[in-house]
Amino acid sequence: MLVMNNLSKIYRTQMIETHALRGFDISVRAGEFVAVTGPSGSGKTTFLNIAGLLEEFSGGEYLLDGVNVHGMNDDQRSRLRNEKIGFIFQGFNLIPDLNVFDNVDVPLRYRGFAAAERRQRIEQALGQVGLASRQQHYPAELSGGQQQRVAIARALAGSPRILLADEPTGNLDSQMARSVLELLEEINSSGTTIVMVTHDPELAARAQRNVHIVDGQVTDVLHEPVLRGGEQIGASIQPNL
Amino acid sequence: MFRYYLNLGFRSLRRNPVLTILMVITLSVGVAASMSTYTVLHMMSGDPIPHKSDRLFVPQLDTGGMVGYTAGEEPDDQLSYPDTQRLLASGQGIRRTAIYGINDAITPERADMAPLLANGGATTADFFAMFEVPFRYGNPWHADDDARKADVIVLSRATSEKLFGDVDPTGKDLTMGETSYRIVGVLGDWQPLPRYYRIINGNGGAFAGSDEFFIPFSTAVRHEKRNSGNNNCNGDGPEPGYAGWIASDCTWIQFWFEGASVGEQASIKAWLDDYASEQHRLGWLKRPVNTRLRNTMQWLEHLEVVGRDSRIQVWLAFGFLLVCLVNTVGLLLAKFSARAGEVGVRRALGATRSAIFQQYLIEASVIGLVGAALGLALSFAGLWLIGQQSGAMAAVAKMDWAMLLATLLLSLCASVLAGFLPTWRACQVRPALQLKAQ
Repeated sequence: MLVMNNLSKIYRTQMIETHALRGFDISVRAGEFVAVTGPSGSGKTTFLNIAGLLEEFSGGEYLLDGVNVHGMNDDQRSRLRNEKIGFIFQGFNLIPDLNVFDNVDVPLRYRGFAAAERRQRIEQALGQVGLASRQQHYPAELSGGQQQRVAIARALAGSPRILLADEPTGNLDSQMARSVLELLEEINSSGTTIVMVTHDPELAARAQRNVHIVDGQVTDVLHEPVLRGGEQIGASIQPNL
Repeated sequence: MFRYYLNLGFRSLRRNPVLTILMVITLSVGVAASMSTYTVLHMMSGDPIPHKSDRLFVPQLDTGGMVGYTAGEEPDDQLSYPDTQRLLASGQGIRRTAIYGINDAITPERADMAPLLANGGATTADFFAMFEVPFRYGNPWHADDDARKADVIVLSRATSEKLFGDVDPTGKDLTMGETSYRIVGVLGDWQPLPRYYRIINGNGGAFAGSDEFFIPFSTAVRHEKRNSGNNNCNGDGPEPGYAGWIASDCTWIQFWFEGASVGEQASIKAWLDDYASEQHRLGWLKRPVNTRLRNTMQWLEHLEVVGRDSRIQVWLAFGFLLVCLVNTVGLLLAKFSARAGEVGVRRALGATRSAIFQQYLIEASVIGLVGAALGLALSFAGLWLIGQQSGAMAAVAKMDWAMLLATLLLSLCASVLAGFLPTWRACQVRPALQLKAQ
């Protein structure tokens, strides 16, 4: 599903060259729930941004669902991002002057779905996160947990192959965090691949496998590969130690 | 997606309402200032008879004396009576006409009405066909009437209604001065702007006033009517009396040729040069050949119907619009910068740079649309204010459909132009940075 080989990302200024990722190897198989952990500044978010095609990488290879993304132009990357990837952010990132329905509608508009299909997908996604009755509410009228559920519905509506979550419970209290995590587990159990960046060891422990990043490199894999439906997943992780 | 972006654009008006109001006001004031002054210029400089203005020609002959003569200087704008008679008889072009202003007192048939002092023109039968004058009742007089110096008269609609009400007065007699004229026609609504057929006049200039009646040129001369406009004489002036005046080289008559084609301007000009050369040889024209033959628009330009001040005002107003645009750019930059986070989210959700560009440019256009509506209202207010200055300004401070459309387009184009830089900047947002910063 997501394969990075010897990936590097270098930020250059006039004075300094910073290696955010170096010799970065990771492979996430379809249907996995992977937690990415690491200290601040280790490169977790850079990894997630590159994985989400929001940033380009400096070297190496990245295959998303079998497609080599190297050399793609902005339109191609945007289209691939829209079709294959769903994002969940720590700050929810809902558009404040759009109601719940219209927020979930945004990625579907860019996909070019017809109105009827968009409505059906939005209602289904909101039903899945338990917010079918809040379609006309604006983000400011919802709790943090509900806002994050809307963000999850928005990520799910386009039926992405992979969900990328950046500290999805970082802004929530423990009860809401638990509820959101249960929702992610439910989504994963229905076959959607999830890669979640988190600082929280408890959350990381709920994932099927943990990938630890230090100084822009994968240093550790904390969980054993697990079996789902007879298929071994996560076996191809090659941490650089 | 256009409807979606349009919808987002209208929703966005409610976001940062203070910025939105500032932008709309800035844009609309700039548009109103430029369009109200430009509308006046447009009305002043419009072609009053577009389908044949390039076939209507005004001749000029240099009738001055040798005292103070400078070679090549601009000939007089009007002709003398002897030259007029010869040009009318020349056979050049398909029509020829001459006109001069007269005024006289009309005695109404109604006893309860006081006599009216009316301004009008003495011209020939060709005048009405040449300038395509519409008739409400009756017809122009005939060339025979010119030849017979008949006492016939054509009234303007306003004069007819003033004297007779809303009835057809043709066939009735009208006393003007000491003479009784038979009314042969009443004009329809005809008030060309500018009054190109007789710019040099004594009653209102190019943009105000109107001719209240017309009588045959030959009839006016028979009744020894003096002209009410400009009269230029050389040297010691004419011999005493009316006969001396019309026999002199004093210039007081405006003359027009109508050509069958644009190309006839050259042939009529050649004829005019030959005529001037012949008259110079005969001693009538003192100066060497120096003629002009201008078509309608060249004639209006020559007479500087649109003054330099009017053009400068328009330039200043458009300069003001530019200042407003620069301000709008700044306000849009502020508005769009505040939404960098939204751009980041949309990019993350699959929006291409071009999609963001379209969305924000349409949003800027929506501001332009609202600005256009307000700008249009302010333009009307500006024109009303301009119209208060004088009757002439009131005549030209009117917005036609073309100007109305131009106002809307200008506002829209201005907002799109102002929106380019802020929109381009919005497209450069790096989503990764914005998403983390949210």
